[in-house]
Amino acid sequence: MEALEGSVGPVETLTPYGQRLHPLTLVQRVVKSLPALFFILFFRSSDTENWITLAFLLLYGVFALPMIILQYMRFQYWITPREVVIHSGVLTRRKRNIPLDRIQNIVIERSLLPRLLGTAKVKIETAGSKTTEGVLEYVSLDEAQRIREIVRSYQRQRATAAPATLEAPAEHSPAAVEAMAQVLFTMTLPRILLSGVFRFSMLYIALIFSGLQTVMDPLNLTPEQIAEWLRGDGLLPFTDAAQSSPWLLGIFTVFAAMLLGWLTGIMINLTKYYGFRLWLEGDKLHRRHGLLTVSEGTIPLKKVQSLILRSNPLMRRFGWYRLELQTMGYDVEKQGYQVAVPFAKKDEILELASHIRPFALPETFAPVSKITIRRTFIRYSMTLLVVLVPLAYYWQPALWGLLTLPLLLYLAFLQYRNHGYALHDDILYIRRGVFQHYVWVVPVDKFQVFYTAGSFFQRRLGLRSLVIDTAGAGSFRFPQVVDVGAETAEAFIETLYGRFQSHFAPTAP
Amino acid sequence: MRPLDPAIKTVWMIKLALGWGMLFFAVLIYDVFQLFDQDRWLPFGVMSGLVLLIGGTLTLVLPRLRYRFWRFDLRPEELYLERGIWNRVRTIVPLRRIQHLDVSQDVLERNFGLGRLIVHTAGTRSSDVVLPGLRYEEAERLRDEVKHYITEDAV
Repeated sequence: MEALEGSVGPVETLTPYGQRLHPLTLVQRVVKSLPALFFILFFRSSDTENWITLAFLLLYGVFALPMIILQYMRFQYWITPREVVIHSGVLTRRKRNIPLDRIQNIVIERSLLPRLLGTAKVKIETAGSKTTEGVLEYVSLDEAQRIREIVRSYQRQRATAAPATLEAPAEHSPAAVEAMAQVLFTMTLPRILLSGVFRFSMLYIALIFSGLQTVMDPLNLTPEQIAEWLRGDGLLPFTDAAQSSPWLLGIFTVFAAMLLGWLTGIMINLTKYYGFRLWLEGDKLHRRHGLLTVSEGTIPLKKVQSLILRSNPLMRRFGWYRLELQTMGYDVEKQGYQVAVPFAKKDEILELASHIRPFALPETFAPVSKITIRRTFIRYSMTLLVVLVPLAYYWQPALWGLLTLPLLLYLAFLQYRNHGYALHDDILYIRRGVFQHYVWVVPVDKFQVFYTAGSFFQRRLGLRSLVIDTAGAGSFRFPQVVDVGAETAEAFIETLYGRFQSHFAPTAP
Repeated sequence: MRPLDPAIKTVWMIKLALGWGMLFFAVLIYDVFQLFDQDRWLPFGVMSGLVLLIGGTLTLVLPRLRYRFWRFDLRPEELYLERGIWNRVRTIVPLRRIQHLDVSQDVLERNFGLGRLIVHTAGTRSSDVVLPGLRYEEAERLRDEVKHYITEDAV
């Protein structure tokens, strides 16, 4: 605490004793280690000698428990006016200094147990490293908020003091901060539930089917047996019908799987986005959401590299979109993509984006070359053949799979129709994808490196691909235009680079 | 547009030869072990000969082709690169986007007095753009020339 009151001086010394974590940390760590203990106690095989269990118990009592206490004792942290200092480690001592001006984000995370005990986990994220730099696990909620407030007020102070001298520290009372905050987006409960309905993902269906398989196979259950077992009073007519017609049963299971998939989607979105709130405070976006685990995050506006409008065919049919921000520097868990708005109408997003990076979706996108349909179709067919031919070698009827070829052609056509690019008011728009539809919104001033590429086949067909590299872009999903005519591609990349240059030209404001 | 230093062809050739040589010996050992096997499915020397043939051809051909398609140019505002046999890629690295620069040299390159310039940017796929096959002094000169353009906020 004393360190806090110290004035900003050129030299600072740490008080001999830093802050400790919240005492309830001990309880939480012990609780966390319990599953391992239970495992030892209950999941041993029957022929395990008793003394082995005893030895494990002894190990746990002699090492694991004291370790938790020692770790707690040896963990100290200081929040000084300039940096966060963390000393930790029992066997290996670690001393870590994180300068306040390198801190980019303070995440306060509260899962179920910490919420019951009134504690929180504080994650300190910096611009330099991709992982979390420091973790305080756990401190009291008040302390967590105090730490965040110290960092924020320090950064505000720097921002305001940058042009002037340091003599006037901008003092903000919490009320003033609240007044400065501008709520951009909140999610009502119906909206969250609705968003779950659209979270239609094949993955859940696959999971459910594989789950069914793993249950049915070892138990030697047939669908008929399950139908028999399901036979209740209310379900009787239905199960009868199902038994007499296996096709109906098939359709029924598909529907059931879809329903389950939808329900899972709704549950996931409910726990993830409950109480979703996005607000702007100065030049930083703040986000808070979650039902069981409330997570909070900060996105500095100037770190936003590009905006991404995501949707799937169903969402687009009803005009719903999801806005993600591609940011630089932290949170690699999501490939540098942060969800800013999980589910909203296009107009809402455009209105909201005007506070982040104003843009207007262009009316028309330039299409890529039509030859891309052929190329995509050939690629899809090759993949199909690679799967089918070895399969058909063992199981002839697999050749019926060739009937999906027209479908693949249609899919290739859809890929073509959904792909396009446009340059509009110094913003590059690229849209792509059928099932997962992306619209990338990349401002000219965020371009990093420009690529054109032509593979052997592309060059024979007079085509090129364009990639505009940006900071924090994903390795699999990134803005690229595939299969544009060679001259168009070269001319377009010249235009893009020209815009980039004139943006940074000395005459520009 | 400038080509790379021709000595890089030899460096690439040696590297390829080393890789294929290792594979060749592995296959040769396999072949020798199979020598007295009654029901071996290939006569002795076919596999190792094949590896030798493919490896030899690639070692002779690839470096020349790679060299032929490599071009670069340091222009007032950007570094321009062109390369690739199969997939021909052109890259424009704006100098103001460069975050830092390295000049590196491995053992082989040192013997030929070569070095490579590595340009780091904040972009994901271009976090390090490598320009190989420069004379070491030339690589250092390029680095010093480009260094002036590094701005504080490249992001």
